[in-house]
Amino acid sequence: MSGLDLFVLAMFALGIAGAFFTAFHPNILYASISLIATLGAVAGLYAGLGADFLAATQLIIYVGGILIVILFAVMMSENIYKKRFAAEAKKYILPSIVSIGLLALLFKLLFSADWGELSEISQSQDGVTLQMGQALSRPYALPFQYVAIVLLFGLIGAVVIARPHIGKKRK
Amino acid sequence: MTLTNAINEFFQLITKFQVPFFLVSISSAAIIILFFAMPVSGFATYLERKISADFHERIGPNRVGPWGLLQLIVDGIKMFLKEDTVTKNADRVVYNLAPSLVTLGSLGAFAVIPFSAYIIGANLNIGIFWAMALGSVVSLGVLLGAWSSDNKWSLLGGMRGAAQIISYEIPLGLSVLSVVVVSGTLNMHELVATQAWPTLGGKGHFWNIFHNPFLFINFFVYFIAALAECNRTPFDLPEAESELVSGFNTEFSGMRFGLYALAEFADVILFACISSSIFLGGWQLPFVDLSLLHFGMSLGGKSLDPVFQTALMMGVFLAKASVIVFVVMWLRWTLPRLRVDQLMNMCWKYLIPISFVCVVGAAIWVWFFEAILGWPSSSMVHIVGRMLGVYSS
Repeated sequence: MSGLDLFVLAMFALGIAGAFFTAFHPNILYASISLIATLGAVAGLYAGLGADFLAATQLIIYVGGILIVILFAVMMSENIYKKRFAAEAKKYILPSIVSIGLLALLFKLLFSADWGELSEISQSQDGVTLQMGQALSRPYALPFQYVAIVLLFGLIGAVVIARPHIGKKRK
Repeated sequence: MTLTNAINEFFQLITKFQVPFFLVSISSAAIIILFFAMPVSGFATYLERKISADFHERIGPNRVGPWGLLQLIVDGIKMFLKEDTVTKNADRVVYNLAPSLVTLGSLGAFAVIPFSAYIIGANLNIGIFWAMALGSVVSLGVLLGAWSSDNKWSLLGGMRGAAQIISYEIPLGLSVLSVVVVSGTLNMHELVATQAWPTLGGKGHFWNIFHNPFLFINFFVYFIAALAECNRTPFDLPEAESELVSGFNTEFSGMRFGLYALAEFADVILFACISSSIFLGGWQLPFVDLSLLHFGMSLGGKSLDPVFQTALMMGVFLAKASVIVFVVMWLRWTLPRLRVDQLMNMCWKYLIPISFVCVVGAAIWVWFFEAILGWPSSSMVHIVGRMLGVYSS
């Protein structure tokens, strides 16, 4: 077992521990803070498995962006230290069904994917950034643009929701 | 070197019962932080006070040592010895975590700064992207620290800080992207190496800021966005003294506050280093390629060229970085602070559209000259040289 394998295993452990705290910690603030560990560990996994561009992207988007939005929402909500909040949050049945379904879907993907190609890529000295850029601008250009348009719709929708006076006369 | 290779190297010896490489790395990182980042940031605080004094027509620190030069040591001792107060209802865990997150974000990015062609902490192939990724961890530390100290001023400051940093990351990223479009690499060493003076037959294209008009505009976009990222005046809303006492770090004292202050100055220095290496050519000088210089001296059969080159390169690089640090301080004592809405307007209505236009413009520029006309380089220096008949091929 090499040092890199140990690192990847440690990242697995950290990610699972963080996810466990996120799911079961009674205080919602700590639950969302332990997402730092989970998301950071996923970035570490990417880094350990040869996807360094993805690792940095994970840090920028999830740790620096989405986590902050989650924290904004949590910090602005009332009474996050009180028991009531924790008791109300204990709705396990529906979330369990959804997450087990998601897990099944991921397992299906896991076993249907062709992992043979990846072992060569992760050994390369230059990393996968160049290949990724070329793939996104040539064979996968259309899906990439499609995702971009979906994100643009999301942005516009956010603006529309955030400005209730749109369409009305301004004071 | 990819991040994976770096991690592999880092943990290589852990399973072989030797001194693990990562212990060596961590201790050398600690040494670098203690002997480079901390003194330089401390010296920056001294410089800041001296410069502000000049702008106010005062003398500034002048009691400790010659010209008050030892002030930074005294400040440091004061930080260490100060009582470490914590507000009564502070959330202890988060309160302790936050300053270290901020410090991690701003000091970790120094790993990819190319001080010379031979001195770089980790020559990662995603260098500039790594620096930006760690920069986004800083906003997390600011927000958590602000919230945990149970103070309305802090919370307001932290909210402003997080919103500001997230917003300004977009023009920052776009202006870095335009540099990447021109240079075709994310590696910091290669980014600097491609900015060599275009000697005959050489591949350099001179400083990126003079590569094309779009990059010239983008340098200023980058400068403004980076000022906002470092929470410096005119964008120091998260710690606006006249409104929020001291903003997100109001309740922090002693070394915890010290870490925040250190991280702020380290951020300024980091930003100066990055902008001088991706826009102002790093250790490159006009008219001469320092990495090709020969001094003809040797020691024990080995050429001493790399030593002299390193000294020259570091001098050039640090001179550029210090000019930028000076400009940042100059702005602080010259410009008034923006309001929150002005800050957001500035970002979303001006900087982001401008940087979008510049990214597309830079891409078209490179495509036109290199793909349509088939020239080996599309930089302004090259084009002017072609007009004057220097480059005929």
